[in-house]
Amino acid sequence: MIAWLRNPWGRPRALAFVTGAYIIWSIVPVGIAILFAFNAGRSRTTWQGFSFRWFTGSTGSVFHDPALQSALKHTLLLAAITVVIAVPLGVTLALGLQRWRGRGSGSVNTMMLLPLVTPEIVMGVALLLLFLKVFPSIGLGTKAQAIGQVTFTLSYVVVIVRGRLVSIGREYEEAAADLGAPPHDQILRVLLPLLAPAIVASAAVVFALSIDDFVVTQYLSGDASTTTVPMLLYATARGAPSPALNAIATIALLITLATLALAFFVYKRFAGGGGDAAVAAIMEV
Amino acid sequence: MPTHGEIQLEELTKRFADVAAVDGIDLHMPPGEFFTMLGPSGCGKTTTLRMIAGFQRPTSGKILLDEVDVAQVPPHKRNVNTVFQNYALFPHLDVAGNVGFGLKYLRCTKDEQRKRVAEALDLVQLCDFARRKPAQLSGGQQQRVALARALVLRPRVLLLDEPLGALDARLRKGLQVELKTLQAELGITFVFVTHDQEEALTMSDRVAVMNGGRVEQAGTPREVYEEPSTVFVADFLGVSNLLTGEASADGDGCALRVGERTFRARQGATSERGEVKAMIRPERIAVEEHGTVGENRMPGLVERAVFLGNSFELHVRVVGGDLLKVTMPNDGTGIPVEEGTAVALHLPAEALRVLAPSSPPVEVA
Amino acid sequence: MSSRWTWRLLALPGVVWLSVFFLAAFYAVLAVAFGNQDSFSAPVPFWNPLDWNVGYALAVLRDIWSGGQYLTVFIRTFVFVAIAMVISLAIGYPVAYFAARHAGKRRGLVLLALILPFWINYLMRMLAWINLLSPDGWGTRVLHTVGIDRVFIWLGLLTSEGGWLDGQPSTVIIALVYGYVPFLILPLYASLDRIDQRQIEAARDLGASPRGAFFRVTLPLSVPGILAGSVLVALPMFGDYYTPDLVSASPKTNLIGNQIDQLTRQGSEKVTGAVLTIILALALLVLMVYYLRSTRSADDLAEA
Repeated sequence: MIAWLRNPWGRPRALAFVTGAYIIWSIVPVGIAILFAFNAGRSRTTWQGFSFRWFTGSTGSVFHDPALQSALKHTLLLAAITVVIAVPLGVTLALGLQRWRGRGSGSVNTMMLLPLVTPEIVMGVALLLLFLKVFPSIGLGTKAQAIGQVTFTLSYVVVIVRGRLVSIGREYEEAAADLGAPPHDQILRVLLPLLAPAIVASAAVVFALSIDDFVVTQYLSGDASTTTVPMLLYATARGAPSPALNAIATIALLITLATLALAFFVYKRFAGGGGDAAVAAIMEV
Repeated sequence: MPTHGEIQLEELTKRFADVAAVDGIDLHMPPGEFFTMLGPSGCGKTTTLRMIAGFQRPTSGKILLDEVDVAQVPPHKRNVNTVFQNYALFPHLDVAGNVGFGLKYLRCTKDEQRKRVAEALDLVQLCDFARRKPAQLSGGQQQRVALARALVLRPRVLLLDEPLGALDARLRKGLQVELKTLQAELGITFVFVTHDQEEALTMSDRVAVMNGGRVEQAGTPREVYEEPSTVFVADFLGVSNLLTGEASADGDGCALRVGERTFRARQGATSERGEVKAMIRPERIAVEEHGTVGENRMPGLVERAVFLGNSFELHVRVVGGDLLKVTMPNDGTGIPVEEGTAVALHLPAEALRVLAPSSPPVEVA
Repeated sequence: MSSRWTWRLLALPGVVWLSVFFLAAFYAVLAVAFGNQDSFSAPVPFWNPLDWNVGYALAVLRDIWSGGQYLTVFIRTFVFVAIAMVISLAIGYPVAYFAARHAGKRRGLVLLALILPFWINYLMRMLAWINLLSPDGWGTRVLHTVGIDRVFIWLGLLTSEGGWLDGQPSTVIIALVYGYVPFLILPLYASLDRIDQRQIEAARDLGASPRGAFFRVTLPLSVPGILAGSVLVALPMFGDYYTPDLVSASPKTNLIGNQIDQLTRQGSEKVTGAVLTIILALALLVLMVYYLRSTRSADDLAEA
């Protein structure tokens, strides 16, 4: 056994073993949780046969339980609002920061990066106090949640788009200027089309981040109607609910992964950088 | 001769932080000529070109385009166009879209735009490729698209930033000829930037040799090759031998005392006196039988003989310790040489060129 | 030139957004922490720094100084995070090393498996373990069959068989590792992947054994990745409150995040909560600045 693990000419089998064990450890539990979403019985620990009852059944299923239904809808609504606001804001900020050299650009750049490294609870508390004490007219609820999510996803958009801007370089803009295009046309006719893959990728990342976000969303939630899927998981995981909880988590997971896979292929297909660049863009975060 | 497309640079300077990339240059680029800026990387040639295009603002100085200073005009309002080093073809547009890009700003009708795109593609023989994307073209074809895209706007001056740099050697040769022919046909001023001396010599009407942000010498290719005025120019344009000696009067030339020996020199700054440098091209030195004596001859020992096919390259150590490089044509007339052969070298007075002592000592990159 | 203003104008909406909802939000924390509270203990922020009231901040600092409850929580947080970091590195480094160096043809697949947890909702991953570790869960049964629960009890890390979710510090730490190790592996992988294979070959060529080449070339070159990855993982761990809530729910495993959460979101002592938030943010500022600087210089390199 030891000799087999330490064969100097083969692959380092000990490393392969650790890696394999890690991958199983990191993914199989989630696989089991997904499996129990299809349990025919009420238990989340004992397998009682396969069924779709927790997705579509007439009682207590994701599609029929009002609380679950509302959480799923609210999660998707928030994600959509966040994408619509954060992506244009982030793209323009990335364009501006990339080319704006001089006074102020350094501090704006730092301010833009700070949300990426600020622990979420710090941001949650800060935004909670902001909406309680500065913008009581906005108050807590959907609007506050959307604003909070935009605030921390904005930086991801900037980072992804700017990465693409750096790899595009300035040459295309200069070529456009050389051919007579004024600044706004340099952006509209040349930069935006070239940035399209990065914009799509960042929209997908924002969508996924929004669906998965828990802390900021929880801090800024108002009444029960502003509960999202992650909040539901937090609130009821330790209680004794039914596999419907696993079912709704599975649906959220599928939506997240489908969005990212789509973005990955768009980026790979149109950015020309190949798979590695796409992986980099999506993992940059 | 065309009457427009003249560029005059006056005291043009560009500083980046503390470094002067372009250090107060004056250059005249006559209308309708093929003008080349030649120099090693970092000599300021590309920065100068980018200032003419408008991508970089001069720190000071003037850029006169047909007698109007355009130094502060943004690039999209200058009637000069650029062929970029890597072409910068828009990857999201097809060939026709690339070529037609700038026509939108000329206020011409759709029909006229189509017509001009077709003409431009015809000019570079790419009519059949109008619907291709840049990524589907070869390097040479991309280069032609870049050319068509700039020429379709009928610029007064076409700027070319090492446009052949990305191509392989054989394709380069062909395109050099094509570019030169095209320029002669169109009569547009071409300002060409390169670090390749051969390219500069074969294509240009006029060459400016640049170094350290300054113009070392400007003139016709023959002038800069045969009558280099500085050590740098002599060295950058081909291999040369340098001798250091004392100059004194001697008839129509000057007498140059190098160590124990005196040479007559008839070229260059022969009126200089005192310590000077003199240069001679390797192909102008004649190799003769050991023992041959006469004016401007000296004995030497072949230290290295490299066979190059059509010629031999010799390194000959002469009395006094100098090592001279000699190119001997392989035409069957030369004496047989190998390492260790003793020979006599003849440095003809009309090939020995005295350089002005003011020439700054420069390192060749 | 007009184009210079174009870029600033483009940046403007984003700058305004971040100023209002990020910077101003932090100012709100300061104003609340150095403010007062009314008779219903609702916070009354003082917006003018000249009026700031340091009473609540001093009370917290006094508690910490005299070894009170907040000191205990801070120390516990630090110990839990430190242990979790060490375990994460012990797991993450070999995995990242294998993926970068030896995964061969299966590299894409391995990479996908490493990225996947990244995008599976954190709470769903915790939910999975809650199901597995509940007294009759599959995980509890497997651990019992293998005898790991008895080993843990013998080591004093578990109080009763099947009691994994009953306020065990060990469970919280392992859950933290499980939750955050993917965030460590990816930067580690990136830094190991960037090392030129030929440098290791050069080391071998110059006489280094595989072990020597690893310790003298690979490991030093991956130090920036180790540091960046560690910071990236430490920051969210220090701010975590949901992991202990989910897998323990006992005051014995309260972290600073739980303390802040209970005071601000759930409770009515928002002023003290704001003070603790500031202390936490200040403590983490070093890490945040370090991470930003290290990525900034990497950015500059990429642009040069």
